[in-house]
Amino acid sequence: MKDDSKNVVDMDGMRVDDDHLLSMYIDGELDAERTISLAGRLKHEPALRARLSAMENSDRLVRKLYANHSDESGRDLAALIQADNIAIFKPMIRWRELAAGAIAASVMAVVALSLTTGQSTLNPMTMDRQLAQALEHSPSRASGWERLDNERDFRSVLTFPAADGRWCREFMLAHDESHWRGVACRDEGTWVNQVVGSEVFLERETQYRPAGAGDTEKVARFIDETAADVALGPQQEAALIASGW
Amino acid sequence: MSSLTAQQRQDLIDELPRLKRFCLSLTSDPSDADDLLQVTVERLLEKGMPADAHVAKWSHRVCRNLWIDEIRSRDVRNRYAQVEGAIEGAGTIAGNSDESVQLDRVSEAMERLPPEQRAALIQVAVEGCSYAEAAAILEVPIGTIMSRVARARKALAEDLEWKAEREA
Repeated sequence: MKDDSKNVVDMDGMRVDDDHLLSMYIDGELDAERTISLAGRLKHEPALRARLSAMENSDRLVRKLYANHSDESGRDLAALIQADNIAIFKPMIRWRELAAGAIAASVMAVVALSLTTGQSTLNPMTMDRQLAQALEHSPSRASGWERLDNERDFRSVLTFPAADGRWCREFMLAHDESHWRGVACRDEGTWVNQVVGSEVFLERETQYRPAGAGDTEKVARFIDETAADVALGPQQEAALIASGW
Repeated sequence: MSSLTAQQRQDLIDELPRLKRFCLSLTSDPSDADDLLQVTVERLLEKGMPADAHVAKWSHRVCRNLWIDEIRSRDVRNRYAQVEGAIEGAGTIAGNSDESVQLDRVSEAMERLPPEQRAALIQVAVEGCSYAEAAAILEVPIGTIMSRVARARKALAEDLEWKAEREA
């Protein structure tokens, strides 16, 4: 492949051939003098007109082709982007032909697959109204679950003050055979996810085994680095909830 | 570098259609373009960007660098085998109309363009970028954009003309 990175078209030089002129004419990048000159030539040179027409036609087809390809441009990705302050611990997808097996083995891929294929609309990392309501009102507990909606179970684990003055809560979410552990902080009346990790669900009522130590460690590390004090006791937490934070 | 601000997130969402087309212009394969877009978004969410960064330029730069990394990691023979397969799969516009045939032709012609010419043409002809804007996104001199766009148009026009004559 010829490298044309140094083949700079010199607007004042002689290297601007007709194809360059026509291309720049199409793009409105010719100066006035050259535009007038080229327009004059186009009137009298049918071959040049045909060349211009061919270029314009191929441009039109290219635009149409790419418009077709971008119709379904990432509604699911938009949901991922909108998820506030999510920490992505590791790449959630690899090139399909290279790592399909690895994706299947990855717990984080639950999210990745749902985002990629659009087969599931659940994005447990997204802060939605139900989750925010649970964070706002539910007391922390050591066991048991609160039904969040038709798909998810919720458990608040603990509440702690952050060094910046916000209140934060560690929580768990369960869905099918996966669950997530995260921390959300209350920022001017709005709960915002700060970090979310994934774990493999074993027996929902009894025990959990971290799928990747890194995920859980990140949540723990976040709390360790963020918390200004120890977690609130049950009575303190209940008073805080009752006061509206 | 912190995570994306709310405004950067919104700008990135607004940029997705254009970023998707950019992915397609780089990869020339719809599946690879989907993957590249996904990886690009994940990288941006993971690494964030400077508060004063131009989201479109930054995201395009990340996307392009990721694709370069991917190309380097692939076996060359394997890559070209996939490109051949992609050419067959790229003509996804159904129907037998003249327009459909033309789109198939232009799709195949785009496949044959050198990637850097294809990317420049998409930025200018599809996205409506000025040469200066395309140069900033692709990180090449403005004159290089002029040259690549012109070469791409010339190749496309000749390719389409040749195919039309052959099939006539």
